[in-house]
Amino acid sequence: MLLRADSLASTHAIAAALAGLARKGDVIVLAGEMGAGKTAFAQGFGRALGVTEPITSPTFTLVHSYDCPGKLTLHHADLYRLDRMVELDDLALHELAEFGGIVLVEWGDVAAAGLGEHLEVRLRRDDSDDSDVTDGADDADDVDEFGLDEARLIELHATGRAWAGRWDRLARELEGYRC
Amino acid sequence: MLILGIETATEQVGVALGGHEGVIASFEVVRGRRHAETLVPSIQFMLRQADVELDELGCIAVDVGPGLFTGMRVGLASAKALAQALRIPMIGITSLDLLAFASRHSDRVVVPVIDARKSEVFWAMYRQVPGGVQRVSEPAVGPVDELVADLLARSQDALCIGDGAARYRDEILEGYHCEVSGPVHPSAAALVELAHARALREDWVRPNEIEPVYLRAPDAQINWSVREVRP
Repeated sequence: MLLRADSLASTHAIAAALAGLARKGDVIVLAGEMGAGKTAFAQGFGRALGVTEPITSPTFTLVHSYDCPGKLTLHHADLYRLDRMVELDDLALHELAEFGGIVLVEWGDVAAAGLGEHLEVRLRRDDSDDSDVTDGADDADDVDEFGLDEARLIELHATGRAWAGRWDRLARELEGYRC
Repeated sequence: MLILGIETATEQVGVALGGHEGVIASFEVVRGRRHAETLVPSIQFMLRQADVELDELGCIAVDVGPGLFTGMRVGLASAKALAQALRIPMIGITSLDLLAFASRHSDRVVVPVIDARKSEVFWAMYRQVPGGVQRVSEPAVGPVDELVADLLARSQDALCIGDGAARYRDEILEGYHCEVSGPVHPSAAALVELAHARALREDWVRPNEIEPVYLRAPDAQINWSVREVRP
Protein backbone atom coordinates (compact mmCIF):
# COMPACT_ATOMS: atom_id res chain seq x y z
CA MET A 1 0.00 0.00 0.00
CA LEU A 2 1.64 3.25 -1.12
CA LEU A 3 0.68 6.46 0.68
CA ARG A 4 1.71 10.10 0.36
CA ALA A 5 1.99 12.37 3.38
CA ASP A 6 2.35 16.01 2.36
CA SER A 7 3.36 17.25 5.82
CA LEU A 8 4.51 16.17 9.26
CA ALA A 9 0.88 16.30 10.40
CA SER A 10 -0.18 13.80 7.72
CA THR A 11 2.74 11.54 8.65
CA HIS A 12 1.48 11.60 12.23
CA ALA A 13 -2.08 10.93 11.04
CA ILE A 14 -0.99 7.88 9.04
CA ALA A 15 1.02 6.62 12.03
CA ALA A 16 -2.03 7.13 14.25
CA ALA A 17 -4.27 5.13 11.90
CA LEU A 18 -1.77 2.28 12.01
CA ALA A 19 -1.50 2.54 15.81
CA GLY A 20 -5.27 2.31 16.05
CA LEU A 21 -5.22 -1.11 14.38
CA ALA A 22 -1.98 -2.39 15.93
CA ARG A 23 -2.27 -4.90 18.75
CA LYS A 24 -0.14 -6.63 21.34
CA GLY A 25 2.38 -8.90 19.65
CA ASP A 26 2.94 -6.73 16.57
CA VAL A 27 6.46 -6.02 15.31
CA ILE A 28 6.59 -3.03 12.97
CA VAL A 29 9.76 -2.24 11.02
CA LEU A 30 10.47 1.38 10.18
CA ALA A 31 12.66 1.47 7.07
CA GLY A 32 14.17 4.40 5.25
CA GLU A 33 17.29 6.49 4.97
CA MET A 34 18.55 8.96 7.53
CA GLY A 35 16.08 11.80 7.74
CA ALA A 36 13.27 9.91 6.01
CA GLY A 37 11.01 10.40 9.03
CA LYS A 38 11.28 7.14 10.98
CA THR A 39 11.41 8.78 14.39
CA ALA A 40 8.70 11.27 13.40
CA PHE A 41 6.52 8.31 12.47
CA ALA A 42 7.26 6.65 15.82
CA GLN A 43 6.26 9.83 17.62
CA GLY A 44 2.88 9.97 15.88
CA PHE A 45 2.40 6.27 16.54
CA GLY A 46 3.23 6.55 20.25
CA ARG A 47 1.08 9.58 20.82
CA ALA A 48 -1.88 7.75 19.29
CA LEU A 49 -1.32 4.90 21.76
CA GLY A 50 -1.48 7.36 24.62
CA VAL A 51 2.21 7.87 25.33
CA THR A 52 2.55 11.26 26.98
CA GLU A 53 6.32 11.27 27.61
CA PRO A 54 8.53 12.65 24.84
CA ILE A 55 9.45 9.91 22.36
CA THR A 56 13.13 10.30 21.54
CA SER A 57 15.47 8.44 19.24
CA PRO A 58 16.73 5.17 20.77
CA THR A 59 19.84 5.08 18.56
CA PHE A 60 22.26 5.09 21.48
CA THR A 61 20.16 3.26 24.07
CA LEU A 62 18.88 0.60 21.60
CA VAL A 63 15.38 0.24 23.07
CA HIS A 64 13.06 2.72 24.77
CA SER A 65 9.93 1.36 26.42
CA TYR A 66 6.79 3.35 27.16
CA ASP A 67 3.84 2.18 29.23
CA CYS A 68 0.52 2.87 27.52
CA PRO A 69 -3.07 2.60 28.76
CA GLY A 70 -4.54 -0.90 28.57
CA LYS A 71 -1.53 -2.84 29.99
CA LEU A 72 0.27 -2.23 26.73
CA THR A 73 3.95 -1.35 26.39
CA LEU A 74 5.35 0.37 23.31
CA HIS A 75 8.96 -0.63 22.66
CA HIS A 76 10.89 1.61 20.27
CA ALA A 77 14.10 -0.01 19.05
CA ASP A 78 16.85 1.16 16.72
CA LEU A 79 19.29 -1.29 15.11
CA TYR A 80 21.60 1.39 13.67
CA ARG A 81 24.42 0.66 16.12
CA LEU A 82 24.26 -3.12 15.82
CA ASP A 83 26.74 -5.07 13.72
CA ARG A 84 25.94 -8.70 14.40
CA MET A 85 22.80 -10.81 14.47
CA VAL A 86 23.56 -12.06 18.01
CA GLU A 87 23.16 -8.48 19.21
CA LEU A 88 19.69 -8.48 17.69
CA ASP A 89 18.95 -11.80 19.42
CA ASP A 90 20.00 -10.22 22.71
CA LEU A 91 17.32 -7.55 22.34
CA ALA A 92 14.70 -10.36 22.10
CA LEU A 93 12.26 -8.01 20.39
CA HIS A 94 9.84 -10.85 19.70
CA GLU A 95 9.59 -11.63 23.37
CA LEU A 96 8.90 -7.98 24.14
CA ALA A 97 6.06 -8.09 21.59
CA GLU A 98 4.67 -11.34 22.89
CA PHE A 99 4.44 -10.09 26.47
CA GLY A 100 1.91 -7.33 25.97
CA GLY A 101 3.99 -5.15 23.70
CA ILE A 102 4.06 -3.49 20.32
CA VAL A 103 7.59 -3.13 18.94
CA LEU A 104 8.72 -0.46 16.48
CA VAL A 105 12.13 -1.24 14.94
CA GLU A 106 14.04 1.52 13.16
CA TRP A 107 16.40 0.15 10.48
CA GLY A 108 14.76 -3.24 11.04
CA ASP A 109 14.83 -4.01 7.31
CA VAL A 110 18.58 -4.78 7.38
CA ALA A 111 17.93 -7.70 9.71
CA ALA A 112 14.41 -8.67 8.66
CA ALA A 113 15.23 -12.38 8.77
CA GLY A 114 15.86 -12.12 12.50
CA LEU A 115 12.56 -10.42 13.24
CA GLY A 116 10.00 -12.99 12.16
CA GLU A 117 6.56 -11.92 11.01
CA HIS A 118 6.23 -8.14 10.83
CA LEU A 119 4.78 -5.11 9.08
CA GLU A 120 7.24 -2.93 7.18
CA VAL A 121 6.70 0.81 6.95
CA ARG A 122 9.11 2.21 4.36
CA LEU A 123 9.53 5.98 4.35
CA ARG A 124 11.23 8.16 1.78
CA ARG A 125 11.17 11.79 0.80
CA ASP A 126 8.90 12.59 -2.10
CA ASP A 127 11.23 14.20 -4.63
CA SER A 128 8.38 14.91 -7.00
CA ASP A 129 7.18 17.54 -4.54
CA ASP A 130 7.49 20.81 -6.49
CA SER A 131 5.84 23.01 -3.88
CA ASP A 132 9.07 22.89 -1.92
CA VAL A 133 11.43 24.53 -4.41
CA THR A 134 14.10 26.64 -2.70
CA ASP A 135 12.96 30.23 -2.80
CA GLY A 136 15.83 31.92 -1.01
CA ALA A 137 14.19 31.58 2.40
CA ASP A 138 16.92 29.29 3.73
CA ASP A 139 18.00 31.60 6.48
CA ALA A 140 14.51 32.38 7.67
CA ASP A 141 13.77 31.48 11.31
CA ASP A 142 11.31 28.76 10.48
CA VAL A 143 13.62 26.85 8.18
CA ASP A 144 12.84 23.14 8.40
CA GLU A 145 16.41 22.06 9.10
CA PHE A 146 15.77 18.29 9.15
CA GLY A 147 13.17 18.28 6.41
CA LEU A 148 10.60 16.91 8.88
CA ASP A 149 7.76 18.80 7.34
CA GLU A 150 8.57 17.75 3.80
CA ALA A 151 6.32 15.51 1.78
CA ARG A 152 7.14 11.83 2.02
CA LEU A 153 6.02 8.56 0.52
CA ILE A 154 5.10 5.80 2.94
CA GLU A 155 4.82 2.23 1.76
CA LEU A 156 3.23 -0.47 3.93
CA HIS A 157 4.02 -4.13 3.40
CA ALA A 158 3.08 -7.03 5.69
CA THR A 159 4.94 -10.33 5.91
CA GLY A 160 3.07 -13.34 7.30
CA ARG A 161 -0.61 -13.37 8.14
CA ALA A 162 -0.79 -11.13 11.21
CA TRP A 163 -2.17 -8.14 9.29
CA ALA A 164 -4.35 -10.02 6.77
CA GLY A 165 -7.52 -9.54 8.81
CA ARG A 166 -6.83 -5.82 9.33
CA TRP A 167 -5.63 -4.88 5.89
CA ASP A 168 -9.00 -3.86 4.38
CA ARG A 169 -9.86 -1.67 7.32
CA LEU A 170 -6.41 -0.07 7.25
CA ALA A 171 -6.80 0.62 3.53
CA ARG A 172 -10.19 2.24 4.13
CA GLU A 173 -8.86 4.46 6.92
CA LEU A 174 -5.91 5.56 4.82
CA GLU A 175 -7.93 6.04 1.63
CA GLY A 176 -7.28 9.79 1.60
CA TYR A 177 -3.53 9.28 1.49
CA ARG A 178 -3.39 6.60 -1.22
CA CYS A 179 -1.46 7.31 -4.38
CA MET B 1 23.66 -25.27 53.97
CA LEU B 2 20.75 -23.51 52.29
CA ILE B 3 20.48 -23.13 48.53
CA LEU B 4 18.40 -20.47 46.84
CA GLY B 5 17.15 -21.55 43.38
CA ILE B 6 16.20 -19.00 40.72
CA GLU B 7 14.33 -20.10 37.59
CA THR B 8 13.29 -17.60 34.90
CA ALA B 9 13.90 -19.42 31.62
CA THR B 10 10.24 -19.52 30.60
CA GLU B 11 7.23 -17.30 31.26
CA GLN B 12 7.30 -18.55 34.81
CA VAL B 13 9.25 -16.90 37.59
CA GLY B 14 10.17 -19.55 40.16
CA VAL B 15 12.19 -19.41 43.36
CA ALA B 16 12.85 -22.17 45.86
CA LEU B 17 14.86 -22.74 49.01
CA GLY B 18 16.24 -25.97 50.37
CA GLY B 19 19.13 -27.98 51.68
CA HIS B 20 19.78 -31.16 53.65
CA GLU B 21 16.15 -31.30 54.77
CA GLY B 22 14.92 -31.10 51.17
CA VAL B 23 12.97 -28.21 49.64
CA ILE B 24 11.61 -26.04 52.46
CA ALA B 25 9.94 -23.28 50.42
CA SER B 26 9.06 -22.46 46.85
CA PHE B 27 7.09 -19.80 45.04
CA GLU B 28 6.16 -19.87 41.38
CA VAL B 29 4.08 -17.48 39.35
CA VAL B 30 3.33 -17.96 35.67
CA ARG B 31 0.95 -15.22 34.70
CA GLY B 32 2.48 -12.42 36.64
CA ARG B 33 4.17 -9.26 35.54
CA ARG B 34 7.49 -9.15 33.76
CA HIS B 35 10.40 -11.15 35.17
CA ALA B 36 12.30 -8.07 36.30
CA GLU B 37 9.40 -6.85 38.42
CA THR B 38 8.49 -10.23 39.90
CA LEU B 39 11.75 -11.96 40.73
CA VAL B 40 13.25 -9.97 43.59
CA PRO B 41 9.94 -9.45 45.45
CA SER B 42 9.34 -13.22 45.09
CA ILE B 43 12.71 -13.98 46.70
CA GLN B 44 11.98 -11.53 49.52
CA PHE B 45 8.52 -12.98 50.10
CA MET B 46 9.75 -16.56 50.18
CA LEU B 47 12.67 -15.87 52.51
CA ARG B 48 10.41 -13.95 54.88
CA GLN B 49 7.78 -16.70 54.98
CA ALA B 50 10.49 -19.33 55.56
CA ASP B 51 12.10 -17.09 58.20
CA VAL B 52 15.47 -17.25 56.48
CA GLU B 53 17.92 -14.36 56.24
CA LEU B 54 20.00 -13.76 53.11
CA ASP B 55 23.23 -14.38 55.03
CA GLU B 56 22.10 -17.92 55.82
CA LEU B 57 22.36 -18.85 52.14
CA GLY B 58 25.33 -20.98 51.17
CA CYS B 59 24.85 -21.24 47.42
CA ILE B 60 22.76 -19.77 44.60
CA ALA B 61 21.45 -22.14 41.92
CA VAL B 62 20.17 -20.75 38.65
CA ASP B 63 18.48 -22.07 35.52
CA VAL B 64 20.91 -21.09 32.73
CA GLY B 65 18.47 -21.79 29.89
CA PRO B 66 17.91 -22.29 27.05
CA GLY B 67 14.72 -20.25 27.13
CA LEU B 68 13.48 -16.68 27.05
CA PHE B 69 16.27 -14.15 26.55
CA THR B 70 14.37 -11.55 28.55
CA GLY B 71 13.77 -13.96 31.43
CA MET B 72 17.25 -15.43 31.57
CA ARG B 73 18.82 -12.00 31.56
CA VAL B 74 16.90 -11.07 34.70
CA GLY B 75 17.45 -14.43 36.43
CA LEU B 76 21.17 -14.67 35.74
CA ALA B 77 21.89 -11.04 36.56
CA SER B 78 20.00 -11.24 39.85
CA ALA B 79 21.51 -14.61 40.80
CA LYS B 80 25.05 -13.43 40.03
CA ALA B 81 24.57 -10.17 41.90
CA LEU B 82 23.32 -11.99 44.99
CA ALA B 83 26.11 -14.57 44.91
CA GLN B 84 28.72 -11.86 44.41
CA ALA B 85 27.38 -9.72 47.25
CA LEU B 86 27.04 -12.67 49.63
CA ARG B 87 30.38 -14.14 48.50
CA ILE B 88 28.89 -17.58 47.93
CA PRO B 89 29.31 -20.05 45.02
CA MET B 90 26.84 -20.78 42.24
CA ILE B 91 25.49 -23.82 40.43
CA GLY B 92 24.04 -23.50 36.93
CA ILE B 93 21.64 -26.12 35.57
CA THR B 94 19.97 -26.12 32.16
CA SER B 95 16.22 -25.75 31.76
CA LEU B 96 16.18 -28.99 29.74
CA ASP B 97 17.82 -30.90 32.62
CA LEU B 98 15.24 -29.49 35.03
CA LEU B 99 12.29 -30.53 32.89
CA ALA B 100 13.72 -33.99 32.31
CA PHE B 101 14.45 -34.47 36.01
CA ALA B 102 10.81 -33.78 36.83
CA SER B 103 9.83 -36.74 34.60
CA ARG B 104 12.57 -39.08 35.89
CA HIS B 105 10.01 -41.75 36.82
CA SER B 106 8.82 -42.20 33.24
CA ASP B 107 10.00 -45.35 31.47
CA ARG B 108 10.09 -43.60 28.09
CA VAL B 109 12.73 -41.42 26.49
CA VAL B 110 12.07 -38.03 28.09
CA VAL B 111 12.20 -35.12 25.65
CA PRO B 112 11.96 -31.66 27.21
CA VAL B 113 10.78 -29.19 24.56
CA ILE B 114 11.04 -25.47 25.31
CA ASP B 115 9.45 -22.77 23.18
CA ALA B 116 12.24 -20.83 21.45
CA ARG B 117 9.79 -18.38 19.81
CA LYS B 118 9.69 -17.53 16.11
CA SER B 119 8.33 -21.07 15.40
CA GLU B 120 11.34 -22.86 16.88
CA VAL B 121 11.90 -25.08 19.91
CA PHE B 122 14.82 -26.18 22.09
CA TRP B 123 15.00 -29.89 22.91
CA ALA B 124 17.21 -32.75 24.10
CA MET B 125 16.66 -36.43 24.91
CA TYR B 126 17.14 -38.14 28.27
CA ARG B 127 16.97 -41.67 29.60
CA GLN B 128 16.45 -42.91 33.13
CA VAL B 129 19.41 -43.75 35.35
CA PRO B 130 19.29 -44.61 39.06
CA GLY B 131 18.38 -41.46 40.96
CA GLY B 132 17.62 -39.28 37.95
CA VAL B 133 18.04 -38.88 34.21
CA GLN B 134 20.96 -38.71 31.82
CA ARG B 135 21.07 -36.66 28.66
CA VAL B 136 21.66 -38.82 25.56
CA SER B 137 21.58 -36.15 22.83
CA GLU B 138 23.09 -32.72 22.39
CA PRO B 139 20.66 -29.87 23.14
CA ALA B 140 19.28 -28.62 19.83
CA VAL B 141 17.28 -25.69 18.47
CA GLY B 142 15.18 -25.71 15.32
CA PRO B 143 11.70 -25.80 13.83
CA VAL B 144 9.26 -28.41 15.13
CA ASP B 145 9.73 -30.65 12.08
CA GLU B 146 13.41 -31.05 12.99
CA LEU B 147 12.34 -32.24 16.42
CA VAL B 148 9.92 -34.67 14.77
CA ALA B 149 12.70 -35.91 12.45
CA ASP B 150 14.90 -36.45 15.50
CA LEU B 151 12.13 -38.44 17.21
CA LEU B 152 11.57 -40.52 14.06
CA ALA B 153 15.29 -41.21 13.74
CA ARG B 154 15.36 -42.70 17.24
CA SER B 155 11.93 -44.39 17.00
CA GLN B 156 11.63 -44.97 20.71
CA ASP B 157 8.72 -44.55 23.11
CA ALA B 158 8.95 -40.87 23.94
CA LEU B 159 7.44 -38.41 26.39
CA CYS B 160 7.58 -34.76 25.28
CA ILE B 161 7.21 -32.17 28.04
CA GLY B 162 7.54 -28.41 28.41
CA ASP B 163 5.95 -25.23 27.08
CA GLY B 164 7.21 -25.97 23.55
CA ALA B 165 5.64 -29.42 23.62
CA ALA B 166 2.36 -27.92 24.80
CA ARG B 167 2.38 -25.17 22.18
CA TYR B 168 3.22 -27.48 19.28
CA ARG B 169 1.38 -30.54 20.58
CA ASP B 170 -0.60 -31.11 17.34
CA GLU B 171 2.43 -30.73 15.05
CA ILE B 172 4.45 -33.16 17.16
CA LEU B 173 1.66 -35.74 17.33
CA GLU B 174 0.99 -35.42 13.62
CA GLY B 175 4.58 -36.36 12.86
CA TYR B 176 5.35 -38.88 15.59
CA HIS B 177 3.27 -41.10 17.82
CA CYS B 178 4.31 -40.31 21.38
CA GLU B 179 3.05 -38.91 24.65
CA VAL B 180 2.90 -35.13 25.07
CA SER B 181 2.28 -33.82 28.54
CA GLY B 182 3.25 -31.44 31.32
CA PRO B 183 4.85 -30.21 33.50
CA VAL B 184 4.92 -27.11 31.39
CA HIS B 185 7.64 -25.10 33.15
CA PRO B 186 10.97 -26.06 34.73
CA SER B 187 10.57 -26.22 38.49
CA ALA B 188 12.59 -24.12 40.92
CA ALA B 189 12.17 -26.89 43.50
CA ALA B 190 13.77 -29.39 41.10
CA LEU B 191 16.56 -26.85 40.59
CA VAL B 192 17.28 -26.79 44.34
CA GLU B 193 17.12 -30.60 44.57
CA LEU B 194 19.54 -31.09 41.70
CA ALA B 195 21.82 -28.32 42.93
CA HIS B 196 21.91 -29.83 46.40
CA ALA B 197 23.28 -33.11 45.04
CA ARG B 198 26.04 -31.15 43.35
CA ALA B 199 26.67 -28.89 46.32
CA LEU B 200 27.44 -31.99 48.43
CA ARG B 201 30.33 -32.65 46.04
CA GLU B 202 31.25 -28.96 46.07
CA ASP B 203 30.65 -29.08 42.34
CA TRP B 204 30.05 -25.36 42.04
CA VAL B 205 31.59 -22.30 40.36
CA ARG B 206 32.24 -18.62 40.92
CA PRO B 207 29.57 -16.16 39.75
CA ASN B 208 31.70 -14.99 36.81
CA GLU B 209 31.88 -18.56 35.47
CA ILE B 210 28.11 -18.91 35.06
CA GLU B 211 27.10 -18.45 31.42
CA PRO B 212 23.66 -18.55 29.80
CA VAL B 213 22.95 -21.37 27.34
CA TYR B 214 21.43 -19.55 24.37
CA LEU B 215 21.67 -22.28 21.68
CA ARG B 216 21.05 -19.71 19.03
CA ALA B 217 21.61 -19.79 15.31
CA PRO B 218 25.20 -19.20 14.14
CA ASP B 219 26.14 -15.54 14.30
CA ALA B 220 26.17 -13.46 11.14
CA GLN B 221 27.10 -9.94 10.22
CA ILE B 222 24.11 -7.63 9.77
CA ASN B 223 23.93 -6.75 6.11
CA TRP B 224 24.52 -3.01 6.25
CA SER B 225 25.77 -2.94 2.66
CA VAL B 226 22.23 -2.05 1.60
CA ARG B 227 22.66 1.28 3.37
CA GLU B 228 24.87 3.75 1.54
CA VAL B 229 24.72 6.37 4.26
CA ARG B 230 26.05 4.39 7.20
CA PRO B 231 29.65 5.34 8.01
